[in-house]
Amino acid sequence: MRKLIYILLSVAVCWFAADCARAAELHVPQNAVAGQPMTIRAEGSGTLYLIGPGQVIKREFKSGSVEIKGEELRSAGRWIAAAGGQSQVFWVRAGKPEKLSFLARPSRVPVARQNVISGVAFLFDKNQNLVLEPTPVNFKLSVGGTAISKSVTSRSGVAWTRSNSATKAGAAQFVASAENTSVNRVVQQVAADPCERNLRMRVAGRSADKITVATDPILDCSGNPVPDGTIVTFIQVDKSGKSTVDARIKKGSARADLPASDNATITVAAGVVLGNELHIGGK
Amino acid sequence: MKPARILVLLCPVALALSGGVPLLKRILADTKPAVQLTVANAQPREVEDITENAIRRDYTAAWQGLSAALANNTLQPLNDNFSGFALDKFTQRVKDQKQLGLSTRMIDRGHKVDAIFYSPDGSAVELNDTATIETQVLDGGKVIHSDKAQIHYYAVMTGAEDRWKVRVLESAAE
Repeated sequence: MRKLIYILLSVAVCWFAADCARAAELHVPQNAVAGQPMTIRAEGSGTLYLIGPGQVIKREFKSGSVEIKGEELRSAGRWIAAAGGQSQVFWVRAGKPEKLSFLARPSRVPVARQNVISGVAFLFDKNQNLVLEPTPVNFKLSVGGTAISKSVTSRSGVAWTRSNSATKAGAAQFVASAENTSVNRVVQQVAADPCERNLRMRVAGRSADKITVATDPILDCSGNPVPDGTIVTFIQVDKSGKSTVDARIKKGSARADLPASDNATITVAAGVVLGNELHIGGK
Repeated sequence: MKPARILVLLCPVALALSGGVPLLKRILADTKPAVQLTVANAQPREVEDITENAIRRDYTAAWQGLSAALANNTLQPLNDNFSGFALDKFTQRVKDQKQLGLSTRMIDRGHKVDAIFYSPDGSAVELNDTATIETQVLDGGKVIHSDKAQIHYYAVMTGAEDRWKVRVLESAAE
């Protein structure tokens, strides 16, 4: 009798152990992709926890398959599947690039400068996971019918480029695109400093108490008009001293009224650029 | 009371102390992770010394914050150190853990971090981190998963109001 009880007890223990072992059997896929459905095969029954970088999924299961929907599996990275006292690590990759985080700098830039515009694109899938697989990213900078295009393959989720500014002023469209997604930024290309050879003034009028001087249309060295509002300085030097007038460019040129003098030298400057010199009166 | 009884009583107390004291020490210890940062490979811009120090400090703080947030299911350490997609994801993880009665204990054994990208305008940096981490996932007080692994992380940090914050933190298989 005692032997029988012993045998029955042994069988029960073995049965229980086998059942426990079966409950722990988890088969997780090794090539899961974020945003796509996944199936986990699980023996026995119990509670399955899937612990991901940005979420936790809990499922009650009975022997068979546990289906995880694509919209549930959002986070890429290292996941843990735990059930029945056992656990396994598995990896989920990011999906295809569907979002670009595009930094274009600067937002305003002078024309005809070397490597002055930079574009940086981070690639993300639809669930905001960084896409680490190398992916070609196309950068295109276009203004006034001319375009510069460059293809760069991303590394570790980022692609970047540098570009010269065009010779023509205007709102440049800076577009980064990868797969079927693209992002547009505007880089305002403005005239550079006035060109020395284009900063010319003349006497525009004269009366008993003042001399009016005006510049020709002020252009940069690429022929773009320098924006209205840019300060132009007129300096008159005569025997009574120095008179300075800061005038803003208005409708392309600047003008100033200076005190009348029978012998004066007038100079014009904009920023660091010097224009021509006028001599009034004198012997 | 007989000495034998006292001995029998003392045994479990000693056993509890031997297990509990190191555990308590570990919990109370300053869990600031060791971060070794190399910036020599950063492109296209060279990382300035002051930026390097700030990134090291703030990346360390981010891991400390993540560890605290996942262990205690609190959001404040995340808000202090994370932004953007990383903040959204870890916030969701903490909320899910809290709802399901789970917590995650991370024992951070250190990070070897390589700055691989520093944006031309100095506003973003990408790090490649090899971290050694012990992870325990607890369901209530019961450990449902435990492992120690070397994990590869990609982190994107961007300048925020007074510090660098982690905008992306993603682990990847080797």
